[in-house]
Amino acid sequence: MATVWIPTPLQALTGGEATVRATGGTVKELVEDLDRSYPGFKEAIVGEGVLVRPGISVVVDGSVVKKGLLHPVGAESEVFFIPAIGGG
Amino acid sequence: MHDFQFVTPGTLNEALKLLAKHGASAQLLAGGTDLIVKMRVRHARPDLVLDAKHIPELNVLKLDGTGLTIGAAVSCRSIYLDERIAARYPALVDCTALIGGIQIQGRATVGGNLCNAAPSADTIPALIALGAMAHLRGPKGKRQLPVEKFCLGPGKTALRKGEMLIHVRIPKPAKNSGAFFLRFIPRNEMDIAVVNAAAAVVLDARKTKFISARIAIGAAAPTPLYVEDAGAVLADEPVSENMIAEAARIASDAVRPITDMRGTIEQRRDLAAVLTARALRGAIDRAKRGNR
Amino acid sequence: MNKPEKLPHFRVVGTNPIRPDGLDKVTGRAVYGDDFKIAGMLHGKVLRSPHAHARIKSIDTRRAAKLPGVRAIITGADFPKPSVAMVPMGEGGYVDMNDTADNVIAKGKAFYDGHVIAAVAADNPHIAEEAVALIDVKYEVLPPVMDVRSAMAPGAAVLHETFNPGAFFMKTHKVLPNASRLELGAGDVARGFKEADVIVEREFTTETVHQGYIESHICTAQWDERGQVTIWTTTQGAFAIRDQVAIVCAVPMSHVRVVPLEIGGGFGGKDTAYIEPLAAMLAKKADRPVKVVMSRAESLRATGPSSGTFIRAKMGAKKDGTLVAADLSFAYEAGGFPGGPIAAGVLTSITRYNIPNVRLEGFDVLVNKPKVKPYRAPGATQSNFAVEQVMNQLAEKLGMDPVEFRIRNAMKTGDRLILGFPCPPVGGVEMLEAVKKHPHYKAPLGKNQGRGVAFSFWFGAGLTSSAELSVNSDGTVQMCTGSCDLSGTRLTLAMQAAEALGIDVEDVSPTIGDTHSVGYTLQSVGSRTTFATGIAVYEAAQKVLKEMAGRAALLWETDPANVAVDRGDFTDMNNPAHRFTFRELADKLEHSGGPVSAQSTVTPERVGFQLAAHLVDIEVDTETGKVDILRYTAFQDAGKAVHPDFVAGQIQGGVVQGLGWALNEEFWYDAKGRLCNASLLDYRMPIALDVPMIDVVILETPNPGHPFGVRGVGEVPIVPPAAAVANAIYDAIGVRMDALPMKPGRVLQKIKEQKSAAA
Repeated sequence: MATVWIPTPLQALTGGEATVRATGGTVKELVEDLDRSYPGFKEAIVGEGVLVRPGISVVVDGSVVKKGLLHPVGAESEVFFIPAIGGG
Repeated sequence: MHDFQFVTPGTLNEALKLLAKHGASAQLLAGGTDLIVKMRVRHARPDLVLDAKHIPELNVLKLDGTGLTIGAAVSCRSIYLDERIAARYPALVDCTALIGGIQIQGRATVGGNLCNAAPSADTIPALIALGAMAHLRGPKGKRQLPVEKFCLGPGKTALRKGEMLIHVRIPKPAKNSGAFFLRFIPRNEMDIAVVNAAAAVVLDARKTKFISARIAIGAAAPTPLYVEDAGAVLADEPVSENMIAEAARIASDAVRPITDMRGTIEQRRDLAAVLTARALRGAIDRAKRGNR
Repeated sequence: MNKPEKLPHFRVVGTNPIRPDGLDKVTGRAVYGDDFKIAGMLHGKVLRSPHAHARIKSIDTRRAAKLPGVRAIITGADFPKPSVAMVPMGEGGYVDMNDTADNVIAKGKAFYDGHVIAAVAADNPHIAEEAVALIDVKYEVLPPVMDVRSAMAPGAAVLHETFNPGAFFMKTHKVLPNASRLELGAGDVARGFKEADVIVEREFTTETVHQGYIESHICTAQWDERGQVTIWTTTQGAFAIRDQVAIVCAVPMSHVRVVPLEIGGGFGGKDTAYIEPLAAMLAKKADRPVKVVMSRAESLRATGPSSGTFIRAKMGAKKDGTLVAADLSFAYEAGGFPGGPIAAGVLTSITRYNIPNVRLEGFDVLVNKPKVKPYRAPGATQSNFAVEQVMNQLAEKLGMDPVEFRIRNAMKTGDRLILGFPCPPVGGVEMLEAVKKHPHYKAPLGKNQGRGVAFSFWFGAGLTSSAELSVNSDGTVQMCTGSCDLSGTRLTLAMQAAEALGIDVEDVSPTIGDTHSVGYTLQSVGSRTTFATGIAVYEAAQKVLKEMAGRAALLWETDPANVAVDRGDFTDMNNPAHRFTFRELADKLEHSGGPVSAQSTVTPERVGFQLAAHLVDIEVDTETGKVDILRYTAFQDAGKAVHPDFVAGQIQGGVVQGLGWALNEEFWYDAKGRLCNASLLDYRMPIALDVPMIDVVILETPNPGHPFGVRGVGEVPIVPPAAAVANAIYDAIGVRMDALPMKPGRVLQKIKEQKSAAA
């Protein structure tokens, strides 16, 4: 089971839990698993098709992953959703 | 920039005739450091621009036994580079050497600075403190005005229709006198004064007592301000920090500043006092060292 | 082939070669925006709204059209509605193209002083300018909303009836008529403050500032008979401009070719299309090429500045110096359209310290000012100004040295960040130790002099970059990348190619491609070019080496697995007599299968964090409030400094901009919302006499996400100066500064308050 860190705005869905465990081989499967326990989670994260919503970056084990939701995760993986950051 | 005629008169008479004929639609260009900027942003739209650089009377720079004549088209740089003028009028160097950069100083003129009549003009307080007279010529002949009476408001001068500034005349400094100009800007160069100030003092032979003083403040009223009372209070008084503070207080009370992007009323009042004191200290110091 | 796992030492990286573009730039040969000319070119001028907030009732262009020499006039009505709503635009996340289109030219409503209303193309700039003055516009003037607090107050005028909050988790949409909100947190803040022995709580404001790049926005557009438009422009990102022009003007992306010219500064402000769509539309209507040059005043009035802010900061620590809680609220101006730097500003505010209980709140606030843009590290200078002052106050209350206090709480490799994930390798503690040991930290100070320190963090960006390398038969290499060169990156990329290929940097000839000649490359933003495009160059070099190793194997009649490659030297592991230098092998490519070139497009995932600590000495003139900078030392971790002089240059440039922000720079609007100081005379950036030599100390904690350990360097240097100067002013004269800029009048006011409090 991978660990998913819940962004503050979505902790209302998880009853205030900041980290939860979820099952799946990809980030998307983790999100779908969490949506079963915490309805609305998927809608908050997933935009069109297999894409994350605009403005969100997916971080797996410390790296911002370009595959986003399709990135593979392992049993010990940690997954984070962070705001996209602008730069000059 | 809209289309305009550019004429280079070779004589004063020719220039005066053109000015009389075209009236307000004609503008004299000395260095152009104000006029061209204004034309580019459409604040000035003259139909005729008269180049002052080839009129002999406007290009006189002459030091003689009784004073200094600065023609209206003489550049700031030629003033401060003249060693004899610089030695006798260090306050003129204070102001002419800090307007713009070297390229601007090579174009910009004291006459233009006066005729532009900006409240923050950097040469005008020194001219006032030094007791300079503005010499004018117009359709009705010649006349003279003390510089402190030349500016009437922002961009407004005492020049009448068809009249032009020929030169300013600064009297020879008295014995045991000294003069000093400074300005306050947030940066260390290339800026418009938040407030500026000039002081000229005449001390007694022992240099412990004021005989007379003239103080002028800029950027703190609609025109550069001659604060006669601030100088008068010093006459016959000892040279002391107390008296300097008294003059500074009078200057600070006399100013009528506004709040704008360069400073607030309160800040300008405070600065008028601080700069008056600093200008006086500078002038006294110069008087003690033979106006050096 | 065998890829070298570790380079024992660098041959090229870490040296300071002369930049290939330098001489052309100082002799005037380099082609900047205004140097570009083309036959038959018209000149465009723009009519801008004189009102900060107004409904456009009508635009009458008839008088202007009659002026001889006028060739085309456009208004908002000439532009289509964008068919694409949200478009990814670099690490700024997503951009609402309707907003972008409306920012290019107003449709119905003007949102700031300087918002484009119409544009004219004419035979010369003077005619165009006269024609602009002949356009009659009727406005219904609306009340302007000029700062974040009044924009969020009940009853404030509303800029947009609906808007896309665009920041973080779209579900958190707008919470106030002019604002959207973001909240992040960890732990239990209330409990944290209960545990705290000392607490500091303060409010801060900062003003809108501009990047002030010396070259304004300038572009030229020309259409061909096939309906393709070419745009020569000065930009940080040719592809960004291409995408925006294509969407705003409804042209296929393949039909827009953007050619980047040299750029005279950007700092985050030059990847938005302002005049490019106008030039394109004018050129189309006039059927002639059109050049548009923005004046300085136009650039200040109407291109993206950095946000003014209102900040509440409350932080608490225990007696032993451990931070236990932070409750921070930031309201950032977004400008006339949503999408300010709240996520970045909020996240960077405390990411460098370990604090168990945190609440971070950010508001993205619409005001009647130009849409904000990044300015180096967007949002971070403002939040740092608040947090680093509070840090010093906490240290003072605890009786601790401010640097020691920061060391006690500094984030270390592997620590959990606020968002939960472990911190990648950083050298924060080492940097702060270096500050403490530096002679500057203990140097004596005189009367009214003070010393300040600030510690700062910035993320930086990875994102997509492309590079192509072609090997010439004489052993030289052509290198083409899509990254516009803001800071010498032609050279830092060529150095990485040379390092990887094992050749001299003089043998790599770098060029910057246009959008038709190189693979997709995001903007030169986010401190990413030397890092991310460097990886693209490195990967392309590996492909070149692999192909060349194959050629060597062919020539030696052996298997490619037997060819060892070490910095451009190819050897046959089974036959020591078989050796090629890069140059020798390059000469044989033609006859072993043809010339070799390789392309790489990468999107690096492991961006190294940027950390900086700055030390400043100042002196206050207590009669005027003027602050003079006496001494400055900037410490920064570059990961690996590819070109140390350029790294120092980036740091010095950032510090000078930060000092301008700290001391005098601000947009000064009148009561009607008109920008009064739209010139470099009155928008007071520092001049040479205002700054001392900026001493630079470069530290190197390698970034494992880059083959040479490179971190971005360009952004973080602007973050600490304002806070460092504020801390120095307190050290000098004992007044706490709570507003930027710390201009003389404001410092003097504080001194007077201090005197009257003492009396």
